[in-house]
Amino acid sequence: MADFIQLLMNGLALGSVYALAAIGFVIVYSATGVVNFAAGQFVMLGTFAGVATLVNGGWSLPAGYLGALAAMALFGALFYAVVYLPLRNSPAVTMIIGTVAIGITLQNAALLGFGSWPFRLVSPFEGMTVDIAGAVVPVHAIAVVVTTAVLIGLLWLLFNRTTLGIAMRAVAQDLVAARLMGLKVGALLAFTWILAAVLAGVAGLMLGPMWFADVNMGDPIALKAFAATIIGGFGSLPGAIAGGLFVGLTEVLGAAYVSSAYKDLIAFGAMILFLLLRPQGVFGERIQDRG
Amino acid sequence: MSILRAEGISKRFGGLLALSDIDIRVEEGEFVALIGPNGAGKSTLLNVLTGLTPPTAGHIALDGRDITHASTHARVRAGLGRTFQRGRLFGRLSVIENVMTGVANRPGRSGRELRELARAQLARMGLERFAEHAIGSLSYGNSRMVELTRALACEPRVLLLDEPAAGLNSGEVEDLMTRLRAISTERRLAIVLIEHNMGMVMRLAQRIVVLNFGSRIAEGTPAAVQADPAVLAAYLGEGFSHAGL
Repeated sequence: MADFIQLLMNGLALGSVYALAAIGFVIVYSATGVVNFAAGQFVMLGTFAGVATLVNGGWSLPAGYLGALAAMALFGALFYAVVYLPLRNSPAVTMIIGTVAIGITLQNAALLGFGSWPFRLVSPFEGMTVDIAGAVVPVHAIAVVVTTAVLIGLLWLLFNRTTLGIAMRAVAQDLVAARLMGLKVGALLAFTWILAAVLAGVAGLMLGPMWFADVNMGDPIALKAFAATIIGGFGSLPGAIAGGLFVGLTEVLGAAYVSSAYKDLIAFGAMILFLLLRPQGVFGERIQDRG
Repeated sequence: MSILRAEGISKRFGGLLALSDIDIRVEEGEFVALIGPNGAGKSTLLNVLTGLTPPTAGHIALDGRDITHASTHARVRAGLGRTFQRGRLFGRLSVIENVMTGVANRPGRSGRELRELARAQLARMGLERFAEHAIGSLSYGNSRMVELTRALACEPRVLLLDEPAAGLNSGEVEDLMTRLRAISTERRLAIVLIEHNMGMVMRLAQRIVVLNFGSRIAEGTPAAVQADPAVLAAYLGEGFSHAGL
């Protein structure tokens, strides 16, 4: 039982990171229609932004986190201006190739800048554990789950209680009608990219102490976040959360109880089953609802 | 001075001249109808006026200010509003959230104040009880009224309505006409109406502009336009030009 609780918390923590990556992916997809293949590299960049400020820069924890997230916000704005704006009227495939190209560029830029040797990003709760019913649970894992829950709550408030969020949802549904409401569509879309990049940054900073900061970490995250959105429902925020947690839990529990060699089989097997049997996912909408 | 003035508007799509040298002006508080057979260029003209389609030639001024090259949201903020032929409500936003998008650009107001502002707009149109409803649950007639409310929430000085009565039953058309008349008078709002329901056009419009094949073929009071041979020919064909519509 103690082992199970420990694995459960670690799985939830990893799942929270996947959920945040998936949320960033979904926010961008619903607002802009862009399938962002660089979403995993966004998270990698978040981890390395933390490496740059905390490890290489030696900044204090609050300053390092804030600096890294500010860099991610800037990166989101840059991505909007350099990739999204020039390609926004191109066919979907061109946009996808654009995000793939940026993903490869980011990965290799990180390799050039930081080298292939993995870094260790320290947690603010380094070495701290709590005892839950006999299980030794890292405080970092609890902090990750709590942070993610708080962020999800804030996102809910943003999208349902603020005019900014309502305007963002309006833009996601109908650009032309949104313009005719006097909404600054360009600024709202830019903000969407910034928000997605910052969420990926938070995911990266939280993942750093759980994994090693490795320039190749983006690809597995992208695949897991992608599987999470398919299982949860493509384009659905609750789906991204549920899917992310499911993928994280199966990864950790599968490695412990089934086989660490086959841990990814469960999540991706579930994804394939969903594609075959329920392509709209758990919370998915029918395709014709988009228009 | 005209609140809205467009001069020499032309729009070419490849080889097709959709609008040819159109002049249109609308006075403050005036009710103008834009009529013409299908494909005459009415909706294209609205798209050009609202900045969704750039004109090939011509100038547009709103309240004396040139807006030919202004973005759509800048035009809306300057006082131009529009509804669509086929309703374009945000289907995944509630009724009040739809109206909130129209008040979202008011500076210095909190989300709560804007929500109350949107609620007041709904109340003004007798739609308050639908505030928290989903768009999909509204009757067709009510969804058109919500769209009108949303457009009015932007506080336009000129409102362009693209077939607001399409699909409404006769009772709803009467109700819409009463409301439009009241809105126009109360708010000193100029309205440009595209409509195929001639009864509605003749009763509401102070002035009618007739388009055919992208050109303005007539303009005048309802009585004058009804008697215009060019208009009769456009609607009924040459042979009927003396049929006395």
